[in-house]
Amino acid sequence: MPDSAGVVLAGGRSSRMGTPKAALEWHGSTLLRRTVGILARATGGPVVVVRAPGQELPELPKDVHIVDDPREGKGPVQGIAAGLGALEARAEVAFVSSTDLPFLHPAFVRRVLRAVHEGADVGLPIARGYPQPLAAAYRTTLADLAERLVQAERLRPAFLFEQCSVTRLDEAALRDDPVLAALDPGLDSVLNVNEPDDYRKARSQPAPEITVQRFGVLASAGASGRQVQIVHAATVAEAAAAAGVDFSGGHVTAALNGDQITRDGQTPLAAGDTVFFLSADAGG
Amino acid sequence: MTAGGYFGRALIVDAGTGTSEVLELPDRILRAYIGGAGLGAWLMHRLGAAETDPLAPGAPLAYVFSPLVGTPLTTSAKFAVVARSPLTGMLTDALASSHFAIAGKLTGYDAIVVRGARPALSVLRIDGDGTRFDDADDLAGLTAAQAAGRLRERLGRGWRVAAIGPAGERGVRYATISHDGRHAGRGGLGAVLGAKRIKAIAVRAAAQVAPADPDAVLAAARDLRQRSFGPATAKYRELGTLANLLAFNAISTLPTRNFQAATFDEAPALAAEDLSAMRRVARHSCASCTIGCEHIYKTKDRTTRVEYENVFALGPMCGVSDPDAVLAASALCDDLGLDTISAGGTIAWAMECAERGLLDAPWLRFGDAAALIRALTEIGTGDGLGDLLAEGSRRAAQHVGQGSEEFAPHVKGLEMPGYEPRTLHAMALGLAVNARGADHNRSGAYEADLSGDLDRLDGGAAHVAAAVETEDRAAVMDSLILCKFLRGVFTDPFGEWAGLLSAVTGWEVDRSELHRTARRIVLAKRVFNLRAGWQPGDDWLPARLLAEPVRLASGREAGLTAERLRAMIDAYYAARGLDARGRPGQSQLADLRLR
Repeated sequence: MPDSAGVVLAGGRSSRMGTPKAALEWHGSTLLRRTVGILARATGGPVVVVRAPGQELPELPKDVHIVDDPREGKGPVQGIAAGLGALEARAEVAFVSSTDLPFLHPAFVRRVLRAVHEGADVGLPIARGYPQPLAAAYRTTLADLAERLVQAERLRPAFLFEQCSVTRLDEAALRDDPVLAALDPGLDSVLNVNEPDDYRKARSQPAPEITVQRFGVLASAGASGRQVQIVHAATVAEAAAAAGVDFSGGHVTAALNGDQITRDGQTPLAAGDTVFFLSADAGG
Repeated sequence: MTAGGYFGRALIVDAGTGTSEVLELPDRILRAYIGGAGLGAWLMHRLGAAETDPLAPGAPLAYVFSPLVGTPLTTSAKFAVVARSPLTGMLTDALASSHFAIAGKLTGYDAIVVRGARPALSVLRIDGDGTRFDDADDLAGLTAAQAAGRLRERLGRGWRVAAIGPAGERGVRYATISHDGRHAGRGGLGAVLGAKRIKAIAVRAAAQVAPADPDAVLAAARDLRQRSFGPATAKYRELGTLANLLAFNAISTLPTRNFQAATFDEAPALAAEDLSAMRRVARHSCASCTIGCEHIYKTKDRTTRVEYENVFALGPMCGVSDPDAVLAASALCDDLGLDTISAGGTIAWAMECAERGLLDAPWLRFGDAAALIRALTEIGTGDGLGDLLAEGSRRAAQHVGQGSEEFAPHVKGLEMPGYEPRTLHAMALGLAVNARGADHNRSGAYEADLSGDLDRLDGGAAHVAAAVETEDRAAVMDSLILCKFLRGVFTDPFGEWAGLLSAVTGWEVDRSELHRTARRIVLAKRVFNLRAGWQPGDDWLPARLLAEPVRLASGREAGLTAERLRAMIDAYYAARGLDARGRPGQSQLADLRLR
């Protein structure tokens, strides 16, 4: 069983946005696809999306597990209960996120998860002036407690925190992590978009700065050879386009930070990433 | 009537008596095993190779052609050399491409088998006038290229030559057989021929064979030729397989210093992306091939063919980064007639032993280019450590002991290729279970690991399915025979291969029959190994790989546990219909048509 997993709560009404936030365009992808991808990368485990009954979701990777929120309108604890419940036998800890955190960084997720790995039931960031229960880590065994609270109509996350051990991570504690401090110094990971203006402002920000390197025959195409290139890209497809690599024909794959290999152009990128582009027929 | 593309018979030559006989190959056997590696496996069963010491006079060694040889289909001028391996004790089949394939088949046989041994070093000649042996005293000690050159000069036009180098004559257990510079490389076939005191085999075409539907074959050849120029083969054409090196280094898949690491800091010094521009002097194609994957580089005083596996094995695996030294070592392997992967793996193991004080060889250190050349030279001459290292890493480790078996880089005695199993879990399974041993050409499961379609670090059901599928594909390609560098151009591999086979033979073969054929061939190899003494523990990986994780560029540790490997092997056995100990049932045995 992997240590960590992700839960994305996609079932909110998006009433202030006026359109479903999960499907909002994000650099050729969607907000939900990005959040799911960031959690998959950061946790290395399964990712569960909790949606409202019958809610339509944008296209997601096939290994994402989708569960329906059994009761609509009960708020985040209901979603947390459903998400943790779906993971209880599959991971010990889950990072629970809302769908609307376009700048969520894997380093933030890993730092918060660590609080639970170190013994707490909940790792709760307090950043940008507020506790962030929808950018927090939860022990999956809390599913039953969350469910009981919903049944008792105690619907605020604070009721959950009253009954378990919580490590609160203020901004100083978060920035103590040198990786997080370097890659997300402003703790933009917790910036959410609730209204159209929030979204427009966020979307107008430059894409994260990443490093690209091409190998093999890809290195012989273009002027810079296999030299390292610095580009701005929020997805693998954007990075490929910026580096002059044709990622659409199936003959190229991308290795993210020398780790996982993907052909999915929507794989999200975050500041500090390195993308290696390889021939898909690597091997003898 | 024999199907198109076949003669329906094998020539069995007895080197001891100088006589030969014909073994009829009925259609039901040809259709069941096709040719190449598949038909070779059946022949080895039929001739009792599993029960014979590979270096004993009676051990058979077969050149096996295929129905596609001689057609205009690109990459089809190939053959399999098949025998019980003196390195592994199991079945080995090594493929090579050269005009030897066409001339050998057109002697009038689908396979040429040699058994027995000569009293003195000899050359076997086969053509329309029959078989005869010539004295080869003057060829003793020559490189394969020198011997082949001298023979071509002596015999005249039309003769094609297979020859062994000094390593084969000396019985190095990973000696090769060379054909126009293309080696039947893995498993020590050169030692088998050397034990028969046969320096070379020369063949000359004397017969004709036609496909069943020449027009269909021609159309297919035109189509395949066109596709062979596309993006699926660009890598082989433009940089060759050495393009793997830097990419594998980036994803922690480049075995380094005898698998003590999966990245090599000095890899850029050996990168095709740079070396090609500075050193490449030519690009060649094998006979009947339109891909042209042979990249010829210049060394200080000559040229040599460069591929990923020889650079990996003689470079990062031994910690050597000087391109001059690596290319010189590769050329020396060509001259001696040594499998570069086994040579590099065995020397890397010895370097680690020397550094740990398990071998009294203070000169032998990782990264020392002169030590690499000296070790290869000693393997060629038998001086110093030569006799020990000529045995391969498994036997050498058994001799040295003191825990050196734990880091001897082999499966079933065959040294490992340049694919790190800890970061390629489908390939880890493929390497562990394949009949030939640790081998990337009989199990191409790395394709799945590198495809992005599964998590290469989390081996499970998908990896097992990929290992089975790629092993099946290899079984068919190696029996048809088509070059695996062509594999990316097929969108419906089994369907398209069935179409080619049907056009050549006249059989109505479909993809499901070819799937069954693949499984039969894979099983026939396993059953051969069972007869040769295979034990369940032979399907496994070196202990080091299951105990020491490696670090990825992301900072994450990656490893492979014994439990995970066991679970994948168990699932592989189940998928192949084997019992928990990897053995087939009676109904599967009946399908092999061995009686």
